[in-house]
Amino acid sequence: MAKSSSVAPESRVYRWLDERLGISEIVELAGKKRVPEHKHSFWYYWGGITLFFFLVMCVTGVLLLVYYRPGDGAYESVRLITYDIKFGWLVRSIHSWSANLMVAAAFVHMFSAFFMKAYRRPREFLWFTGIGLLSLSMLFGFSGYLLPMDELAYFATKVGLAIPATIPVVGPWIADLARGGPEVGAYTVSRFFALHVVVLPAMFVPLLGIHLALVQKHGMSIPESEQAKPEKARKSIPFFPNFAMKDMAVWLIALNVLGFLAAVYPWQLGPAADSLMPAPMDIHPEWYFMSSFQILKWFGNWFPGALGEFLGIAVFNVGVLLWAIVPFFDPEKRSGVWGRRVTWFGIFVVFVILLTTIWGYAVLPAGK
Amino acid sequence: MNYPVWDVPVIGSGWTIGIIAIIHILISHFAVGGGIFLPMAEAKAIREGRKDWFPALEKFSKFFLILTGVFGAMTGVGIWFSIGLANPEGTSALIHNFVFGWAIEWVFFLVELTLAAAYYYTWGKVSERDHLRLGWAYAIASIGTLVIITGILTFKLTPGGWLAFAGSGEEPHHFFEAFFNAGYLPSLGLRILVCVSLAGIWALVYFGGMDGETEGPTKEKLVRWAAKWILPAYALMPVFALWYYTTIPADHRELFQLGVSTIGQGAFTHVTRMALMAVLSSATIALVIFLFAWLFPRELTRGQGLAILFLALLATASGESVREFLRKPFVVNGYLYSNGVRVLNIDKVNRVGYLANSPWAKPVTDTTLPSPEIGLRMFQGQCMACHTVDGYRSMKRLAGGRDGKAIGSILKILKDHKPESPYYKYMPPLVGNAAEIESLRQYLDIMANGKLTSGVVDTRPKPAKAGADTTVVRTDSAKVAPVADSLKVAKDSLKVAPKDTAKAPASKASADTAKAVKPKADTAKRP
Repeated sequence: MAKSSSVAPESRVYRWLDERLGISEIVELAGKKRVPEHKHSFWYYWGGITLFFFLVMCVTGVLLLVYYRPGDGAYESVRLITYDIKFGWLVRSIHSWSANLMVAAAFVHMFSAFFMKAYRRPREFLWFTGIGLLSLSMLFGFSGYLLPMDELAYFATKVGLAIPATIPVVGPWIADLARGGPEVGAYTVSRFFALHVVVLPAMFVPLLGIHLALVQKHGMSIPESEQAKPEKARKSIPFFPNFAMKDMAVWLIALNVLGFLAAVYPWQLGPAADSLMPAPMDIHPEWYFMSSFQILKWFGNWFPGALGEFLGIAVFNVGVLLWAIVPFFDPEKRSGVWGRRVTWFGIFVVFVILLTTIWGYAVLPAGK
Repeated sequence: MNYPVWDVPVIGSGWTIGIIAIIHILISHFAVGGGIFLPMAEAKAIREGRKDWFPALEKFSKFFLILTGVFGAMTGVGIWFSIGLANPEGTSALIHNFVFGWAIEWVFFLVELTLAAAYYYTWGKVSERDHLRLGWAYAIASIGTLVIITGILTFKLTPGGWLAFAGSGEEPHHFFEAFFNAGYLPSLGLRILVCVSLAGIWALVYFGGMDGETEGPTKEKLVRWAAKWILPAYALMPVFALWYYTTIPADHRELFQLGVSTIGQGAFTHVTRMALMAVLSSATIALVIFLFAWLFPRELTRGQGLAILFLALLATASGESVREFLRKPFVVNGYLYSNGVRVLNIDKVNRVGYLANSPWAKPVTDTTLPSPEIGLRMFQGQCMACHTVDGYRSMKRLAGGRDGKAIGSILKILKDHKPESPYYKYMPPLVGNAAEIESLRQYLDIMANGKLTSGVVDTRPKPAKAGADTTVVRTDSAKVAPVADSLKVAKDSLKVAPKDTAKAPASKASADTAKAVKPKADTAKRP
């Protein structure tokens, strides 16, 4: 095992900075923090991977802001970025892929935390803030999806906004507020843009700060199989430098996966949105909304009309709520009856999400 | 027909070769680098009295023997099968021109396999000195295979002085002009560096599986030593890469620029994109090795080793695909196009017809001209080496949204193959007589639109003044007399095609052209 001194050189620059910033105190504190080492340690990296993709998204998002024009010029500006500006396609592809990978990593992080029972006392707020961050990430995706204003984005957003419109009383008001009028158009793009680059980051960043602070406070959760071992038999490594350096390596690997996807499958741009054209046959939301989209469609088929839509939304929201408040059902460190029930509930949720997502893509009609 | 046409759905034949080749390169370069790694590690262990290294090295040499001897050899044969089916003309050209080279390479390979087995099975059974000698003998044999194969691979992009003898029937006599081409030395240097790096990376995969607690000190030393094997590549690779870059012909170097500002469909942006990927993965791999292996050698796991190997896979795959893509639109630069048509044969094929000249095309049952069936044969012969119907580089997608007239216009551009054409840098010329081109147009029209939409393209040579546009797009093929004339000629040639093809040797077409270039040449004498 390497000593921390190999990472924190006692150079003049270091001493100069240390005197002013107290770096050695931070390093010492980080060195005291330990990360459990066991057969499930792999899952500890997924929070960091999610954070990495978020940071990439921020950097590339800022670069896209240089050329992107919300409103009427949205499509043309994205066309320029993708097909004219040097390496514009690369920045856009990395932004889009990192957004997708961030949601995927957040899902893996959430499910690994769930099955390792990391939501149990005293980590309830870690779980709640995590659920909040995932929800905001999906909203980031939804709001960003419209910004190129191509055909698929336009119609997918139109369908997407029709869903909250079915909520009794407040539904139409929410949909109108998001659209900025009766139809999806340039005003909708402006509103989604404001949501995407100002409102959501303003909510996301503080919540992320709380989430990370709570991780520091409570440390990594240990799965039950490890807890059953005597204290001395449990292995751990220092957070700094050991875990932090490995986290960096994992980030570099994630960067390569991102680069590979952006290079091999660069993000293309469809034809410009035209409200007078019929919607493409294969209209569908992003993959992470496919499950809810399919569940709503299924309810709509069983109960035609507004009732089906309302029931679909109600069942879906109850499911999400149950998922969010799971720490209240299974708060104890040892698994009892409720612990096992919650595990089965988690398996059921994973099964439903996978099944409905695959089903959603399987029944998707071929393009126009 | 000498070969069946090879239709690999979705990924296409190009990627089939690519997938097999990437796995092969990861293993075969390890076969060379590992051949240096093992005796060097053994010599170090002997010199420094590290007896604890021997059991680990013995197990590693078993892993090495199985991986390189079984999977390396199997994928090597797989490459031969796949290139032979995807591009028989290109494969034939390489075999004919490098018979001597292949013979040497296979001898080295046999010696290599034998010595790899001997090295493993003699651990502890012969003296340390003799065992080490076996190891070094293996290293020499494996480097020998690399020295040979590199010459043949680089020849394809930079055939240089050999081109003067292309099509003369004298090609094999100019082996050394072909072999010691401009790209040879820098490429050999690059490959040796890759071999050395991969030896270290595979060693990390293997030693990562050692127990950090019970074998702690041994694991620490071996892992750190293996991690250092990435260093030569980092010090020297930029130098060799730059040298190699200077040897790339200028018009091929331009391919790097195509994807800088666009990812537009049909703009051939692959080289730029994959080059970026190669730089990214090559640049980050050392950092990952430093963070995983150098800093915490005892904590290195097999999983982390495999993650490093994954990066090596990305670097290798992207680097090799850049090398392959850079040759576009040729298989052998200046000699053989990627659609299997020799540069010297273009005029003849355009005059007499493509199908009549192709020994690989399946005879048509319906010789009514033009016909989508002939179009299909044209597609199989000239497009499918790079395109699929609806998978990778899907023709359906590329032709999508275009009616028959627009498809005909694109075929005309491809047929004319003028330097100002947007496709000139990476698409080979479309060859064939007017009837065949029209048949291909109909086939693509039906593929894209489900039915024949419009247009007949007259691709006859320009009779008018220079610069005048001779493209004649007509909407009713039945009324086009000149085209009908050329259809008749082609029809006649097709009727006799199977019989002629059966008699003709694979190189008959080039032999005819060779006669035109050098009257005394006789390609029938080619080995």
